[in-house]
Amino acid sequence: MSKLDLTRRQFMGVFGATAAVAGLGLVGCGGNNAADTTEEGGDAADAALVGSISCSGATSFQPLVEKARDAFQDANPDVSVAISGGGSGQGLSQVAEGSVQVGRSDVFAEEKLEADQLEGLVDNQVCIVGMGPIVNANVDVTDITTDQLKGIFLGQITDWSEVGGTAGAIRVIQREAGSGTRATFEAAVLGGEVAPDSFRPVAEVDSSGTVVEQVAATEGSISYVAFNYMTNEGIKALSVDGVEPTQENVENGDFLIWAYEHMYTRSDEDAATAPVTKAFIEFIMSEDFASTVVEEGFIPMGDMKVQKDAEGNISQIA
Amino acid sequence: MAQLMPKRRLENIGLGITGFCVVLVALVVVTLIFMVAQQGLSTFFVDAMDPIAFFTGQNWIPEQERYGALPMIVGSFAVTLLSTLFALPVAIGSAIFVVEVAPGFGRRVFQPVIELLVGIPSVVYGVLGLYVINALVKAVFGDAAPTGAGILSGALVLAIMILPTITTLSMDALRAVPNQYREGSYALGCTRWQTTWHVVLKSATPSLMTAVILGMTRAFGETLAVQMVIGGVERSMPTGLLDPASTLTAALTAGLSNAVSGSEYYHALWALGLLLLVMSLIFILIIHLIGRKGAKANG
Amino acid sequence: MASENTASSRNSVLDAHVARIDRQDKIATGVLTVIVGLVILLVVAIIAYIIARGAGRALTPGFLTNAYNDEVLPGIIYQLWDSFYLLLVTLVISVPISLGAAIFLVEYAPDNWVTSAAKTAIETLSSLPSIVVGMFGSLFFVVTLGWGISIIAGACALTMFNIPILVRTIQQALEDVPRSQRDAALAMGLTRWETTLNVLLPAAMPAIVTGVVLSAGRVFGEAAALIFTSGSAPARLNFASLNFLSPTNPFNIFRPACSLAVYIWRLTSEPTAGSTEIVWGTATILLVCVLLFNVLARLLGKFLSRRLTAE
Repeated sequence: MSKLDLTRRQFMGVFGATAAVAGLGLVGCGGNNAADTTEEGGDAADAALVGSISCSGATSFQPLVEKARDAFQDANPDVSVAISGGGSGQGLSQVAEGSVQVGRSDVFAEEKLEADQLEGLVDNQVCIVGMGPIVNANVDVTDITTDQLKGIFLGQITDWSEVGGTAGAIRVIQREAGSGTRATFEAAVLGGEVAPDSFRPVAEVDSSGTVVEQVAATEGSISYVAFNYMTNEGIKALSVDGVEPTQENVENGDFLIWAYEHMYTRSDEDAATAPVTKAFIEFIMSEDFASTVVEEGFIPMGDMKVQKDAEGNISQIA
Repeated sequence: MAQLMPKRRLENIGLGITGFCVVLVALVVVTLIFMVAQQGLSTFFVDAMDPIAFFTGQNWIPEQERYGALPMIVGSFAVTLLSTLFALPVAIGSAIFVVEVAPGFGRRVFQPVIELLVGIPSVVYGVLGLYVINALVKAVFGDAAPTGAGILSGALVLAIMILPTITTLSMDALRAVPNQYREGSYALGCTRWQTTWHVVLKSATPSLMTAVILGMTRAFGETLAVQMVIGGVERSMPTGLLDPASTLTAALTAGLSNAVSGSEYYHALWALGLLLLVMSLIFILIIHLIGRKGAKANG
Repeated sequence: MASENTASSRNSVLDAHVARIDRQDKIATGVLTVIVGLVILLVVAIIAYIIARGAGRALTPGFLTNAYNDEVLPGIIYQLWDSFYLLLVTLVISVPISLGAAIFLVEYAPDNWVTSAAKTAIETLSSLPSIVVGMFGSLFFVVTLGWGISIIAGACALTMFNIPILVRTIQQALEDVPRSQRDAALAMGLTRWETTLNVLLPAAMPAIVTGVVLSAGRVFGEAAALIFTSGSAPARLNFASLNFLSPTNPFNIFRPACSLAVYIWRLTSEPTAGSTEIVWGTATILLVCVLLFNVLARLLGKFLSRRLTAE
């Protein structure tokens, strides 16, 4: 009986301890946020940057932003930037709600949000990403016209012989609806037309990485990815209307399929975090970081000779 | 302390603490149903979509603001039924063997082995499906399945996943058949197979059906393993078993991260979630009905 | 003569029948044996294949101790930590609630609508698809309660899975305690609450511990409910961090996390060069962890019940 009693007491001890830990945890965090803000508010006046911000959204340039975060945190040891994914839609709605400080998107917010949600959002275009069509390495076509591309992605052209290759079925691999890469590609190539309901791609995949794997593994397949994915094995990048998909061609306006990578912030951001957010965005767009931007396959803003607005109109930078 | 405290108060404390836990669980479930229903029904009441058009629409093309859920509904039911079809004979067959033919082997070897299958996480099944089953389907069917992703691959992965569920529950069902039934049958000179087929299986039918429905519930709600192998094509109706398609769960996984909360697309996705919720409630209801009917038949 | 004839023909008909049903019986047994053989082969093949593909990477020194962004050999230390930490937080929340609910259902449960509502609620919870729980979590825990994409939100979502399993096993364990023990305690004038704490729980402890560890195995491998609640991006951790508010502090429950299962899903849906190897390595580790939970559950159960019966 006494031993039984001991077990019970042990059990109660564990039970109590767990409950206490749970309670503490909850109380602790409740207090945390409050302490967080006041502390940061107080320190913001000092020279050293202190505070923590979160950044969620598009996964396409997340690796680049993570690189920036690492360097930024090394330079500012009291700052922390929490980076999570979630996709452009989540990034935009979270920054619009104010639940994160920075929302990443590879499309203009105007395309996803309602007018009232756009209020107070600041568009920081941090770099440019070029995209182009890729095919399975065994496809014997190297150049394609915009019209042919359009025909393929609208389901009108279904055989490689129609675009100058050896006869064989064209297998279209699409990105999923809502992908920024897909929106950019379709805006540049389809010119507002939509594929008929009967048109079925052989796969709709979640990411550029999967596109590359699937195109490499599927005979006669075609898809599109950002430039930094074009070097993988088993796939081949096509030139469009005779223009090679290179950074220079995007910069001087010859190659037309590209998009801005946006990091949206709020103009009415809390004073406690605003300096950190501002410094972080400035760091990503700085000259020092530009070499990393190029290494990761993106194009720094400063190198562009053309610009694009939310409607997709391209113009020369004066 | 216990002596200082009146017994009744102590009892009330116990009732209070445990009752609180129960109420908490019930509240969470009610909140869940309420929130899913609220968000899902917004499609029809806030965005004014026609429910009939939503559930029978054959095209899910969010960029054109067309939300027809039928391709995913068909996808979900196709993989569920097909996987049950694959798993059922194997599951019942194994259950019969280990209960009727070799009970000792069943308990010592088969049960632990089949429990290993239950333990494997669903992403690991997804990885197997993606790298092995898709490649297999592609190799077998060649040009008819250019990527290997599709309804058939999804159903094969699910069949393996629900096999242990149906098998273990069927084993329980067969074990619950009273031994007198078997002895009576043997006394009449019936062989083991005749006994199994005419007596044991017949009297275990309601429990076996419950086992199958529980397996189907798992298949219907399974998310990542299916999403990883099915191809994710939502825009129009699948035309064959080798066609890449999508399920309700796969469409949710792929879509939620791109939808802006509060948008029409977001609400439409929640409507799919609501449909999943309603389906799982229907499965529970069916199990209850079978249980009640079985009880009546046996009573 | 004539009667003899009919008798022998009747015999031969019977013999043929017996031979036929015997043959049927043999064929059926044969087919069943093949099926069972194939199932066992399938299980062995699946596990052997995963381990064969992943063991090389999993055993490479550094895989378990390096960060995911290590340039030489990407590892899974952060994901490993996050998996165990998520599990711990989940158990801390779900075990007390499940214990309370199970005790209520076994000991008190008045025969009224509260009890039947609670039973229905738990049954509903057990059949919910994990993605629905994830969606709900992404709205309720993350947005409504304002916890953000965080460990605590993920743990609450996991708790919703875990509760039905735990309540059922604990209920079973309490009901299996011999009636005589309960009656003796009540007869001695103990209240139900005292009986539960002093008699029932200690007696049911081995089964409860086994159940908790088994459920831990399931929670450990869950991913769909976590993607939208605790996040899918690999989190960076700083094990030297003393600032509990920092998103890199491993113990901060308000930071995003990425468990092993979520990491596998993410790498397969967003593959990068060389990620296939990491996927198989991680899958092997995940599988081994889950199997270890199963073994541990059995051993603990045996150990505890031996201790209990020895008293």
